[in-house]
Amino acid sequence: MRSLLIRIFLSFWLIIGITIGIAALAGFYYSERLREAMENFEHGDTVLEASRALDEDGREGLVQWLKDFPKNRGLTIYVMDEERRDLLGRPIPGNIARLMGRHRLHMRHHGPERQEPGNLRRARPLSQLVSATGQVFTLIVLPTRRPPGIFGPTPHGSILLIVALIVSGIVSYLLAHAIASPIRKLRDATVSLADGNLDARVGASVGKRRDELGMLASDFDSMADKLARSAEQQTELSQNISHELRSPLARMRVALELARREAGDLPEFERINAEAERLDELIGQILSYTRMDSSPQAERARVDLADLIREVIDNVNYECKSAGIDGVSVQASYDASPEIIGYPDALVSAIENMIRNAVRHSPPNSTVSVRLSQQDANAQIEISDEGPGVDESELSRLFEPFYRTKDAPDTGTGLGLAIAQRAIRLNDGDIFAKNSEKGGLQLVISLPLV
Amino acid sequence: MLVNVSKGAHIAKNCQVAVAPSPPLADDVFLITREYSMVGVEHSASIVLIDDDRELGTMLTDFLKPDRLDLTVCGNAEDGLRSLAAGDFDLAILDIMLPGINGLDALKEIRKTSDIPVIMLTARGDDVDRIIGLEFGADDYLAKPFNPRELLARIKAILRRSHREEPDSGRLCLGEIELEPRTRRAAHGENALRLTGTEFEILRCLLETPGAVVSKEQLSERALGRRLLPYDRSIDTHVSNLRGKLERAGSQKESIKNQRGVGYLLLPDQ
Repeated sequence: MRSLLIRIFLSFWLIIGITIGIAALAGFYYSERLREAMENFEHGDTVLEASRALDEDGREGLVQWLKDFPKNRGLTIYVMDEERRDLLGRPIPGNIARLMGRHRLHMRHHGPERQEPGNLRRARPLSQLVSATGQVFTLIVLPTRRPPGIFGPTPHGSILLIVALIVSGIVSYLLAHAIASPIRKLRDATVSLADGNLDARVGASVGKRRDELGMLASDFDSMADKLARSAEQQTELSQNISHELRSPLARMRVALELARREAGDLPEFERINAEAERLDELIGQILSYTRMDSSPQAERARVDLADLIREVIDNVNYECKSAGIDGVSVQASYDASPEIIGYPDALVSAIENMIRNAVRHSPPNSTVSVRLSQQDANAQIEISDEGPGVDESELSRLFEPFYRTKDAPDTGTGLGLAIAQRAIRLNDGDIFAKNSEKGGLQLVISLPLV
Repeated sequence: MLVNVSKGAHIAKNCQVAVAPSPPLADDVFLITREYSMVGVEHSASIVLIDDDRELGTMLTDFLKPDRLDLTVCGNAEDGLRSLAAGDFDLAILDIMLPGINGLDALKEIRKTSDIPVIMLTARGDDVDRIIGLEFGADDYLAKPFNPRELLARIKAILRRSHREEPDSGRLCLGEIELEPRTRRAAHGENALRLTGTEFEILRCLLETPGAVVSKEQLSERALGRRLLPYDRSIDTHVSNLRGKLERAGSQKESIKNQRGVGYLLLPDQ
């Protein structure tokens, strides 16, 4: 019963059904009672016969007449005495008994003092006979009861009831559907938008409605339009920035080589070159940071984390060697070989940035250890260094772009861990930092398994 | 010693400038290939550069001149395609970001008629452009802004490959695949294979040792004249292109298999 559609549908249907049912039953009983009452006046001949029998033989004559009354006349007759008992001892049908109760029939003769004026003829629902001894007998003439229909008092009535139920069911369903279905579509679009699909719109399916839901839908669409436009603008902006910054950088590096050729290998040239490379790296990191936020161009694939970590470590070790850092080594232990579904490039970028960060903060001749394990439904990667660690108050801020800890060396672009966090979140994973017991910083990634 | 992995760049701040530069550690401008720059190009060569940055073109012309590399600069793809059709060039350098017809479309156009070696210039980090470029038949790529010495090294590696004097090694055969290193012709049965220079070299490496695994490092050294870079998928892309061409030529029995994490091997008819 969670669905709004079913709840609205059932409550409408129930209410309409109950209303129709009560109205139909009440109408049926009322008309039946009226008909029976009227029929008592219409069988004058029968009443006269009874009157004759009473005149001739008194109460016994009436009993005999009742016993002899032919069955084929389609009538059932009850005669009640003043105690409201049938002369033949039959039970009085319930509806007639109720009718009599309602009208407070005078079951006794009240004598001449109650003589009606000549111009008044009191109509009673039932005929009464008065014997010579003053006993009053009430006659109830009923049409012989038809066998009841299977579904109700009459077949006609039950068909009507079923039709009413079906029609009210359809109407209720349509009404409930009209309310619940646009809400469901809106929700689907919202979820899709939140998942990063900026093309999600509801307009085509809901937007034509003129009611509040239709307005909500068109508001949603214009909001999504604005979001998509601003995301587009941001991407465009960062692309333009990168292009505009890189063209001069590219020229600068060629000019530098030309100058080096002219003037010989001055040490200053090397410094210019290094700064140019640093700028280039920074621009690249900013770009990949902005890119990690939007939906990546790549497709998700099955990733063997052990393989991936092995490749990253090979490359970082190689980088250390070529950068002349021989003192720090990266070592890995694999307690499990979990596989996940994710974006391989983003994962490589995350793990690489984290290991590089660990290496950068390692003291000489120490080890960065990487441990891959499996915790319940998650793959877990721990990257620990033997460096000084980070003040507890600063741990949560490590993943902010360009955040630098108080006593950290001014190295790196300041974006590595921010990129890592975005990349891990892109893969539905989580990342946090803590100080390990041995001192040193420990970064922990957890990624949901397949 | 200072721990330094980021790029080697910040060393400049903390250390004496006299410290030898660490090589950059970005994903592709990775090696300053000194060993290559020592080797001169025996022949002069003419190169087309298709790039809308005119000033860069002018400076590169100056930069490449001492190595007897003659650079023709074209500011857009249309001009570049026209020059390529008119002249006799040894190599094309193609920027992906071009006004009008973009670099990838230009590459597709070039590959319709010519097997000229192509080096692409891509935006750093744009892996999709890079992969598509290699799939469209580029031989190698370089992220922009590049180290000019790295560009020179790549140019020389590719030119050396095309100008290599072939020892009389004779033709190589496996099943229906035939390779004639001297004339640089390849065929599968009756069908001639149109291979780029890189694909030709890869196929040759694999044909020399049929059934044995050739590592990706070896393939990169032989076919591209450079070391395999971290996360470098260019050999994989070239192999997949080669596989496609062999299959389209009707090869079913011989196939290039991937030995995960090691390299590739060509399996003979079984």
